[in-house]
This record gives sequence, C-alpha cells and structure tokens, in this order.
Amino acid sequence: MSDLALGYLSFPVLLVLIFLRAPIGLAMLLCGIGGLWLAMDGTTVFMARLKSEVYTTFSSYNLSIIPMFLLMGQFATLSGMSQALFNAAQSWLGHRKGGMAMAAVGACAGFGAICGSSLATAATMSRVALPELRKYGYSGGFSTATLAAGGTLGILIPPSVILVIYAILTEQNIAKLFVAAFIPGLLAALGYMLTIAIYVRIYPDQAGTHARLPYADRFRSLFAVWPVLIVFALVVGGIYNGWFTPTEGAAVGAMGTGLIALFAGSLNWAVFRDAFCKQQQAPG
Amino acid sequence: MLHTLITTLARGMALLGGLVLCVLVGVVCVSIIGREANGLAHSGYIGGVGDWMIARGIGPITGDFELIEAGVAFAIFAFLPLTQLTGSHATVDVFTSGLGPRANNIIAAFWSVVMALIIVLITWRLFVGMQDKMRYGETTFLIQFPIWWAYAASFVAALSASIVSLYCAAMRLTGARTT
Repeated sequence: MSDLALGYLSFPVLLVLIFLRAPIGLAMLLCGIGGLWLAMDGTTVFMARLKSEVYTTFSSYNLSIIPMFLLMGQFATLSGMSQALFNAAQSWLGHRKGGMAMAAVGACAGFGAICGSSLATAATMSRVALPELRKYGYSGGFSTATLAAGGTLGILIPPSVILVIYAILTEQNIAKLFVAAFIPGLLAALGYMLTIAIYVRIYPDQAGTHARLPYADRFRSLFAVWPVLIVFALVVGGIYNGWFTPTEGAAVGAMGTGLIALFAGSLNWAVFRDAFCKQQQAPG
Repeated sequence: MLHTLITTLARGMALLGGLVLCVLVGVVCVSIIGREANGLAHSGYIGGVGDWMIARGIGPITGDFELIEAGVAFAIFAFLPLTQLTGSHATVDVFTSGLGPRANNIIAAFWSVVMALIIVLITWRLFVGMQDKMRYGETTFLIQFPIWWAYAASFVAALSASIVSLYCAAMRLTGARTT
C-alpha cells in the first residue's frame, strides 16, 4: 500500500473508531501507530519514536498555552465574576422584552473575555443564569438554548483555546486572530439578542421582565465587573502589543483571574483542590 | 480499600499537577515583570538604571521557558490518572447510545483495556527514553539541568497513570461481565 493510500485510509478508520466511542485522543494515537507500523514495516520506528515523541509533544512551549488558558478559565469560574456579569447585564437589559435571556447572552460574552472555552462558559453561566431565567418564567427549552448559544461566545471572544490551536496548526499569528475574532464575537452576541427579541414577540408568554432600574444602580452593577475588563485588556492587549508571548499572556491571565478569585474570597484551599480535581475534564 | 488508594493517588497527582501549573504561572509573571522593568530602565536617558539592575540580577528569569516545558509535560501526565479514573476522555456517544447499557458497558470496558495498554506502553517507552537521556548526559540550553530530570518527573506521573488505568480496566471488565 502506498503512503498516500495509507493517509487516505486513516481518515475513515479514525472516524469509525470515534463512532465506536473510542476516546478521541486514543483513536488518533492508534491511527498514528497503525500507520507508522504499516508504512515502516514493523514496530521499530514507532517504538523508537515513542521514547521521546510523547514527552516532546507534551513539553511544547507553544502548546503549553492551552493548559494555561484552561487554568485561567477555571479560576474565572471560581472568581464569582459570572454573577457580577449577569447582574450588570440584567440591570441594563432586564426590563426589555426577553431581556433576561439577552442578559444571559451578554453575560456569556463578558465571561468569554476571561475564559477561552465554550464548555466552561456555558456551564458557569448556566449555574448563575438558569435559576434567574426560571424565576422570570422563561421555559426550560428557551433558557437552555439561550445559554448553549451564549456559550459559543466563549471561544469567539478572545482569549480562545480553539483559535490558539488553529493558530499553532496553521502557523498563524495568535494576536491577529484574537483581534480578528473580536468583532464576529460581538456580532454573534448581538445576533443572539436579536433572535431572542424576535422569538419573545412570537411567543410572548415565555418571557417575564423586571422593572426598569435607575441609572445609578445600572452603573453601580457595571462598575462591579471592572476586574474582568482589566484582565481582558491586559491579556489581549499585552499579546497584541507584543509585551509578552501568547503563552506568557495566558499565564498573566491565569494569574489575573486567580487574584480576582482570591480577593473575592471565593478561593480557599478546598476550592483550589476541587478546581484541579475537575480541571482535567476540559482537555480530556 | 484499593479503590480509596487509587482515588487518592489520582487526585493527589492532579493536585500536584495543578500546583506545578500555578508555580509556572508565577514564574512567568515574575519573569515578565523583570523583563519589562529592565527594558524600561534601559530606554532613553535612564539607561544606566538598567545596567545597575542587570548587575544586581534584576531581570527576566533565565531559561524560564525551559521550566515551563518541563513543568507542563509533568502537569499533563499528572492529570491523566484522574481523567482515566473518572472516564472523562472526550468521546462521541451519539452512535452507540442506542445499543443499551450492556453493550455500552462492554464497549467502555474494551476501550479502557486498550487505553491501559497504550498508557503502559507509553510509560515504558518514556522510561527507556529517560535512560537514553541519562546516558547521553543531555542538558537544557540555558539552565543546563539534565533533561532526564524532566523525563523522570513525567515518568512518575505516567507510572501513576498506568496503575490507575490498569485498575480502571480491571474494574470495567468485571463491571461489564456482571451486568
């Protein structure tokens, strides 16, 4: 079999393995090992490669940005900023038709600015926003759909783990990709809000509102999210202006969200311990 | 008893990996502050301040990226046991969810056996790789610590992953047989 045919063949094999519920990483590894075995007629090559390849892959400086961003997201989840973001968003939007759902989207967008993963964004914001949405009479399906859609803002609005992986694979500039993703992220957030506005006009029984808040209260709740803005500006601005490399930026972000959590009093040893006993679930 | 031991091992390694990651974050931040402060002190008319700082060792941490590379590899290996124990590898179960619990248990058991074998294989090769590095006496470029130290740290984590994954494979096999 030619090497090219082997390459073509590995795609369907990979898909079949994944559909058979193989862990995705394992499926890729098995394809790689199988391919090397067939291409090199024996086990010598891949056994030799395994001696150093696994270590050098895991110890890649460029890829170390991923655990750093995951750590940043984990600290962000613990920081209590999700509640502050939702409060701020609902004080500005909550009195509109469907405003609480719009506020959930807005809070997701804000949380996306300190968290690079959609899964973490959706999970964290759900914990805060779902009970509120239920309280105001939003149906379960509508609320969860809103949060699932809002969660995608986690990877669109920088920092973004997916964009980092894409940038490394295709050798693109991470800083430029981050800046480029910002506008689409905002557009997506506005689009979601627009969809919500249309939806609640078709099904008006779905959405309760609260009274219009005075501007003093609105600005007070907005002011409470300043740490998010600082960390976001520092990480994305710092990477874009070349003050530090993207990997260093991720470390700065992790430090920033870690400090927020620490000063908010929501980070103690027990919480810290749990955070790591859960962190592995994201990279899987 | 054994289960408690394995759980403690997995959680302990994850916590250790997390602590290493946090230390790395601290190292990077200190290094950035040192570098930026130094760069600032060297610019324009106050260049002398920068020289004064360099003479006193205030600046970026030399070879910080070598620490990151070694530490992150350890952290990733260290998170592996818990991932294995909690079965939280990324999988696609859309196509198998219709098969019923018995078939799914068998599938899960099968993959955890394969996973255990692969992890043991990786651990073994990592050990051989470490022996190579010890023999050659290879060191990192800037800090010049022996590379096999980093291999050894990763090997310890990988060894824990092997133990946990073998245990998981055995448990899921018996689980699949009895249901």
